[in-house]
Amino acid sequence: MRRRFAGIVGLGILIASVTMLGAAPALKPFERGTWQSVLKGHAGRPTLVHFWGVTCGPCKVELPLLGQFAKDHPGIDVITISADLVPNLPAATQSMLDKAGLSSTENFIFSDGFVERLRFEIDPAWQGDIPRTMLISRDGTITTIEGSAEIADLEKWSGQQLATH
Amino acid sequence: MVRIGLLGIVALALLPGTALAQMHGQHASEAACEEPTLRRATKVTPAFGPDGTLWLVWMAGGQVSVASSQDAGRSFSAPIQVTAKRLNLDWGPDARPKIVVDRKGGIALAFSIFRDEAFNGQVLYSRSGDGGKSFAELKAITANNESQRFEALALDQDGTIFAAWLDKRNRVPAKEAGQKYEGAGLFFASSRDGGATYTEAGLARDNTCECCRLGLTFVAPGRAAVIFRNIFDGGVRDHAVMTFTDVATPGEVHRVSNDDWQINACPHHGPSLTVAPNGTYHVAWYTNGKARKGLFYAHSRDEGRTFSAPMLLGQPGRNPTRPYVLAGVAGTVMVWKEFDGEKTSVQMTISRDDGETWSPPKTISSTTDTSDHPLLVSNGRQTYLSWMTKADGYRLTAIEDQP
Repeated sequence: MRRRFAGIVGLGILIASVTMLGAAPALKPFERGTWQSVLKGHAGRPTLVHFWGVTCGPCKVELPLLGQFAKDHPGIDVITISADLVPNLPAATQSMLDKAGLSSTENFIFSDGFVERLRFEIDPAWQGDIPRTMLISRDGTITTIEGSAEIADLEKWSGQQLATH
Repeated sequence: MVRIGLLGIVALALLPGTALAQMHGQHASEAACEEPTLRRATKVTPAFGPDGTLWLVWMAGGQVSVASSQDAGRSFSAPIQVTAKRLNLDWGPDARPKIVVDRKGGIALAFSIFRDEAFNGQVLYSRSGDGGKSFAELKAITANNESQRFEALALDQDGTIFAAWLDKRNRVPAKEAGQKYEGAGLFFASSRDGGATYTEAGLARDNTCECCRLGLTFVAPGRAAVIFRNIFDGGVRDHAVMTFTDVATPGEVHRVSNDDWQINACPHHGPSLTVAPNGTYHVAWYTNGKARKGLFYAHSRDEGRTFSAPMLLGQPGRNPTRPYVLAGVAGTVMVWKEFDGEKTSVQMTISRDDGETWSPPKTISSTTDTSDHPLLVSNGRQTYLSWMTKADGYRLTAIEDQP
């Protein structure tokens, strides 16, 4: 009986694993210290970090354009961070990312109510306006675009980054 | 080999689960915040009644509640829930429930909810005619079904309640005409029955910034004044003031400052306006424009037509945010938040010469976790800081006469 139960559990894990392997990666919590981990994890690689939120009108327009950009530029690490305040809605966030073609990028969601501290770690001058895009070069230089980014500007930066490789 | 393979799959299955588990953990810790009590509130808005009673309206656990204090915030009456069920309240950074208490003790409330999965808003209102013992069923402030958010209420001397809000109804005809529609319209309505019913909504100004709180007050009987983040030519989101001729007639738009903040984004950071008894307009706002960046103050002595040169507030390295200004009998007081990397403090400055000079800013409160915007409220004799903090609860702090 116990063995049969173990077998069923094992089968369940196997099915769950296969399902999860095929599924989009989960939204990652963005907490105190996450920003430094992101910088370290992508050091030396051209990285685009996009801050957005489900209630932000201009974000809704920009997100699908960013999805296409990510698809067209596999050499650029694209990261999204939902920076709306808690209580947040992971389901709505994931749904908008999926629709924008950003299911498979590295996606975070602010998960600490003390947003002043989260924002301070990223950029002490940032007051929370979204959308906001940070372009991190191979050498670690950060260029911040406030408001909706022009895709042409992203293309130009991307071209420079990939050309210098 | 098979066992190792299975273990590997189990490990893989658990890897993405780490993020999920952390998310669930966070939700579990926030479950305590589901209670609709004042202690769990994220946004708290104060108003004094004519008899000196302090009234609070707050958002907590998806509900809006009201309670009163007879001892300047040390103790509160049993809360009365205004909402009959949990609602998807507008939890945007600049959203909060609004409250005005009239001379007869009638209480008018307004707040926004998200009514659909696309985060379209709706402004709801209610009133109490029995001194806060009960509140009328919630009603929509307008029959229109397009998105409305960022309502504001102000009370006229004769008891008229004036409401203003940001409303996206005009994007529909624009879209049908194949035209681009930017921002939202500044709409208004008024109530002559203490907030039981409101007039048909009117448009004061189209294409204003859609995601910042409004500042609203009365300048003189019938004449409401509103400060808002406008969208000027070229997508420049700078501030403007409008003074109504009467509660049904919008006035001209006057620019507060040429900050030149051209941005297609939601700043989530609205302005503050108070009008002194002598008619001086005092305004405070945030900008990240080409001309200036940070928190600023200015005043107008010609009914909001022209403003003084902007005065920078706060320490730029400490992220000054959320300014609030209120003219009171002891002087004009301003507060804002600063963050030093570990704790948030409320900074205060006071002017006793109608905004010409200001005292050196000083810290009057601080906290080590998240907090609501600092607000000022007056009972006609004393100005108080009203501040909700997650770690330390609700605080009502008298602004000292001497800085």
